[in-house]
Amino acid sequence: MQGLDVGYMLGLVPVILGYVPLTLGMALAGMVAALVLACLLAVERVARVPVLDPLVVLFISFFRGTPLLVQLFLFYYGLPQVMPVLVNIDGVSAAILGLTLHFSAYMAESIRAAILGVERSQWEAARAVGMSPMTMMLRIILPQAARIAAPTLVNYFIDMIKSTSLAFTLGVTEMMGAAQKEAAGSFLYFEAFLVVAVIYWAIVETLSWAQRRLETRLGRAYAR
Amino acid sequence: MLKAFALAATLAVSALPALAETIRVGMSGGYFPFTFVKQDQLQGFEVDLMTEVAARTGDEVSFVTMSFSGLIGALSAGRIDTIANQITITPERSAKFAFSQPYVYDGAQIVVKKGNAAGISGPGDLRGKTVAVNLGSNFEQLLRALPYADEIDIRTYESNIEQDTALGRVDAFVMDRVSSAQVIAKSPLPLELAGKPFSEIRNALPFRDDAAGHALRDRVDAALTAMKQDGSLAEISRKWLDADVTEGN
Repeated sequence: MQGLDVGYMLGLVPVILGYVPLTLGMALAGMVAALVLACLLAVERVARVPVLDPLVVLFISFFRGTPLLVQLFLFYYGLPQVMPVLVNIDGVSAAILGLTLHFSAYMAESIRAAILGVERSQWEAARAVGMSPMTMMLRIILPQAARIAAPTLVNYFIDMIKSTSLAFTLGVTEMMGAAQKEAAGSFLYFEAFLVVAVIYWAIVETLSWAQRRLETRLGRAYAR
Repeated sequence: MLKAFALAATLAVSALPALAETIRVGMSGGYFPFTFVKQDQLQGFEVDLMTEVAARTGDEVSFVTMSFSGLIGALSAGRIDTIANQITITPERSAKFAFSQPYVYDGAQIVVKKGNAAGISGPGDLRGKTVAVNLGSNFEQLLRALPYADEIDIRTYESNIEQDTALGRVDAFVMDRVSSAQVIAKSPLPLELAGKPFSEIRNALPFRDDAAGHALRDRVDAALTAMKQDGSLAEISRKWLDADVTEGN
């Protein structure tokens, strides 16, 4: 066992930090898109639109039932073989697309549960004052469902941030890819992987702090 | 008449010096000392080689790094134009791609954890052992083609075969001789060469097997010839490998 090369690790920190914007950018773009898609999917699952419903069920089943890595390879290396235009999709876009589809399937289920978790009386009251189903969803049900779904959605976001490390397999050098390449040149594996682990950890801890703030805020109306 | 005009126009265009293109060069970025990263700087033998080639062909060069096993797929799919990552010419690859002339002549080498080299002098001694190779590399094929391959536990890796051998998780790894020697000389890992190199290998640049691929291959090939003649290729080799491995026997 050799000693830890602290000097090397300190030198590596700014290098890995340089890839934080790319990692967070991919995760944020994926999260926003996945959230929108998941809301649509969840509302559909609650409303059970004819014809559309089996398709949504199929979508959720596929994207929950296959590993993210398999989906990424399918989009990036597989599909262009059948549809040559897709060669033009770059690794970053393919990674964001994969994250979006994959996580929207999970988030749809969590949002659906949250929608159904809103008290029946709220639905009845909204209908009694003559709200259209659309207005009721947007003004009454979804805001309350958001509070219920928030902790699980933040969990998915954390998972998404960490899942961006798979983008290196698509040729996107993000935090993990950068650490992997540095380790391959220096052969200081422990040092390189420890630096990247601590940085991921710090990002997620920051997010957990934000989550506590968010939950307090969303729960204001319910505070006793 | 129109046909003749079109023909003349085509000839005129092809006679002009080719417009500068961007050659997209794929590499793993994790293959010391050919392509690796230090403090976020991509460097190594292949980087210097392709920079020099592009300077001579008048093209721009852009380096694309991705995991090794994805490189061949990316070349076929048109995401990159060539691979500079010590790609060995094999019959299977020659059937699919158009290769430049070889620019490195080398051999396959067995490397073991320091102190374990006794009794291993060639591939025959790998029977009953676990051996690490890079996934999709020709060393994997080389091992699988051995008549007693089913007696060797071949483990394929995306990366880090040197580390797993040093940790004692596998008995040996097989890689090309020059980079093995450099890894042993420059890394802190307790490794040593076992036996002499076996099976001569020749590394070259693969291009897509179509008109554009052939045109680019011919431009690059001319640059390689010039670099061999004026000694600049040998100089790049000595800079990264402490030896000139760019001439065949």
